[in-house]
Amino acid sequence: MTDPDKIRKDITSNIARISSEGADYVDARYYMEDSSETLVLYDGDLEANDTTVQSGVGIRVLWNGAWGFAATSDPSGIHSCFDRAAQNARTASELVRVPVSMGRLDPVRGSFSTPVEVDPFTVDLKDKMAFLTKLDDGLKDDFVLKRVVYANFMKRRIHFQNSEGSEIRKDLVHTFGMMMAMALDTDGEMQRRSMNLYTTGDGSAGWELMADPKQFLENTDRIRSELAQLVRAEPLEYGRRTVILLPGQGHLQVHETIGHPLELDRILGYELSYAGGSFVDLDSFGRLQYGSEKLSASSYGGIANSPGSFGFDDYGTPERDYLLIDRGLLVNALTSRAMVNEANERAGRKVFKHIGGAARASAFYRAPIDRMTNVNILPGNDGTLENIISATDDGIIVDNPVSWSIGSNREHFHFGCEIAWEVKDGRRTRILRNPTYQGHTLDFYRSLSAVGDSSTWRVEQVNNCGKGEPNQVMQIGHGVPVVKFDDVISGERK
Amino acid sequence: MLDANIRSILMQVRDEAAGEGIQASFLLHHEKSHLMRIGNNSVSLNTSEDLLRLDIVVTDGRRQGSQTFLGAVGSADTVREVLASAREKARLATPKTYQPIPDEVQVTVSEDSQFDIDLADLDPAVKAGAYGGIFSELGEEYNYSGSWSSGAMEIYLLTTSNSNEAYHRGTDQLFSVVLKHPEKKWELTHQQTGWRAGDFDTGRTVAEISKLLPAYENSPGYKVEPGEYTVLFGAPALAEIVEMAAWTGLSGRSWEEKQSWTAKSSPGQSILGENISIADDPGNPETFMFGFDNCGRKRRIFPLVGNGDLLSLMYDSGTAARYGREPTGHDTGSPSLVMDTGFGPGDPLEAVMGMGRVLYIPALHYVNIPSRSKGIFTGSSRFNAVLVENGEIVSPIFSTRITDSFQNVLGNAAVISSRSESVNGSNTYGRRTPVAMSVPSYMVSEGVKITDSADSF
Ligand SMILES: [Zn+2]
Repeated sequence: MTDPDKIRKDITSNIARISSEGADYVDARYYMEDSSETLVLYDGDLEANDTTVQSGVGIRVLWNGAWGFAATSDPSGIHSCFDRAAQNARTASELVRVPVSMGRLDPVRGSFSTPVEVDPFTVDLKDKMAFLTKLDDGLKDDFVLKRVVYANFMKRRIHFQNSEGSEIRKDLVHTFGMMMAMALDTDGEMQRRSMNLYTTGDGSAGWELMADPKQFLENTDRIRSELAQLVRAEPLEYGRRTVILLPGQGHLQVHETIGHPLELDRILGYELSYAGGSFVDLDSFGRLQYGSEKLSASSYGGIANSPGSFGFDDYGTPERDYLLIDRGLLVNALTSRAMVNEANERAGRKVFKHIGGAARASAFYRAPIDRMTNVNILPGNDGTLENIISATDDGIIVDNPVSWSIGSNREHFHFGCEIAWEVKDGRRTRILRNPTYQGHTLDFYRSLSAVGDSSTWRVEQVNNCGKGEPNQVMQIGHGVPVVKFDDVISGERK
Repeated sequence: MLDANIRSILMQVRDEAAGEGIQASFLLHHEKSHLMRIGNNSVSLNTSEDLLRLDIVVTDGRRQGSQTFLGAVGSADTVREVLASAREKARLATPKTYQPIPDEVQVTVSEDSQFDIDLADLDPAVKAGAYGGIFSELGEEYNYSGSWSSGAMEIYLLTTSNSNEAYHRGTDQLFSVVLKHPEKKWELTHQQTGWRAGDFDTGRTVAEISKLLPAYENSPGYKVEPGEYTVLFGAPALAEIVEMAAWTGLSGRSWEEKQSWTAKSSPGQSILGENISIADDPGNPETFMFGFDNCGRKRRIFPLVGNGDLLSLMYDSGTAARYGREPTGHDTGSPSLVMDTGFGPGDPLEAVMGMGRVLYIPALHYVNIPSRSKGIFTGSSRFNAVLVENGEIVSPIFSTRITDSFQNVLGNAAVISSRSESVNGSNTYGRRTPVAMSVPSYMVSEGVKITDSADSF
């Protein structure tokens, strides 16, 4: 698309036009740029060398309490796109039993930029390849059968505007990475060991994150060495034991069994036809003991350089830092403006005092829904990983997911991980392969018996969270420490 | 049909590229999609998209680069720009250790046998009306959700290898409704699929849900203890198991790289029960039929498993090049997996009449693969799942987890339905790419491992 000024003027005049025709509310998101680059080295061969560029406008109209949405990538089609969104809203309003209420808010004007030192899109492909090839070389070994090095860069320049006079500019940059080595174990089954790019929560999110030697470069030896032990290891036997999650696994546990069940649209029943519901209901807030007193979880968390940090959500609401779970007690949810209004009305009390700022859309051609931002477990007082191990009699430490399957109301789960370390009488003993564990969400978090301090805490990045219809893939962060759970079913029955 | 201006622009730039000796493919994807979403008995979203994507892949010896553009293709200059970016990426790429197989449209083809103008132009008001009708027929006291995706898509592929053109146009729809009891929390669902507007019938949904309502209304939930059970899988569950089994066990890449549960077997060896045959059949009208893949290769019926024996594996172009095999026409987002029917009666309850206690699990929620090498999958029951005794529905069951292997579940099928059913497996994450499988309407497997269950639906 060309001439952003003209497009913004078209948006302003069309918002005024549709509002004057009787719309309750209108907003538009104009993506001036939305670029994504993916590089995959597979056994050293560059199997993916892809860039996607897109730009366009997504328009949302609320009419008699019903949403209509339409999108176009054709700059000459903006006027008719507004008409289509309005028509879609009018059609929807024919079948509305629970009218959407946005309330009235003062206009918001602001901007947000992801902190970036080096824009990954300005780094020469040659330099990127040189770096990734060096990583790949670091994974090579005689026993290693497969190597994968993955990099994904995203850049978005977004203009938001609504009929209340809000105007927001966002410049978002994300850098994702993964490296993995695979080898056959003594039974001829493929085992793998991998690592994802993470952040410490401070600093920036550009190419420098990938290039930081403390991330990938200094970990290739560890990956190879753990894999070498894994392929000779015994499988984990079925039994009840303590399970210690490193952040590489803990973040997905939090994602699936704290994040998803606390999305307010899911709680209110708007995801039943696809993702599912939630075991949490409006009565649960302020009353449900979600976990032990050691569990405190937050949304956003003021993290500077995470894919879940974006300044303002796609309703134009500022992103807020607040607790979801306070010392075990469920106190809040991941919320957007429309869902907060509906929930408070349905409950007949102010269950949610503030709007969480968690409405997000994955592209200009998708409508925003309630998403995770950064969903975090706060660091605890149980010391370092070594302190936690030394206080454990019989357990395993697990890292990195292989498989995840969760009940439709997020009430139960089953995870498979890459690696386990056995813990006996306060000491790490041997590595075990094919670890799995399963549980019921509330019982599991109520068995949380140790939370690592800030030395164990880091922000894991997720770039593949799926939700909504039409489906949307979202980027999210999870700041998590090492966490320990007691009496967990692990391994599979014979 | 394809916009004449876009076609001539693409042919012009293709010809220019061929003249310069560039090896490139041009894949145009155009969709007009509509989706109506229902939540809390209301339309919660009513959305239209008209999106055009152009993928250009350039092969420069052993180097490759690709660029995807989403936007308006109004002039040859736009296409030239995308080509230049792909070319630059290929120039800077590190060379592969093998020679990639260049894309080539093998024969000129234009297909639209599954295109229905009535579905392409379906008025969203029809959808709202149908949902409203279902609510009033089944009862306004329940909570309803659902989604109804429909649309038209076209693909147009050109390569510099020759002057052939491949064109596909089709329509598709996937309808679902979820009925939830506001207090008791159980959920019932019904789905419909097809490529014609006329494939949808409100009465069918009302009838199917009505059949199960009495059992759900009149019995409390039943908690299934872990153990081995005879399980009656419905078509959606069976389709998911077969699709996952094919993805992890029948793809050439998984097999070559020893990651699959079939890795220790060779073609000709037994991998599943003798009553299991699976093919990829793009000529089966219960699937969405794509006659060519995204590399221009013609697709035809491709047997994968015959009477339990591994027959062949699916090779995409990249895997074939890397391992020195022939590509099999499987570079597509839309395989047409077909599992052969058996000899069981049409009615699933009749099939389990003399079998005592049976778990009827029509669909699986959130299936994943803890071990590809061992072929182990896990997932849980959700909608419409009931305990059956001697062919009679006794009670709905609480959310129940199955963790078992493809080899066991597809190796111990006691009864397979003689009737086939089309199961729509499309998602709407990326570009519109309809996928459907044809599978028996049910399969009864013995000794299926139940590993966990909740105390609620
Ligand atoms: Zn997710």
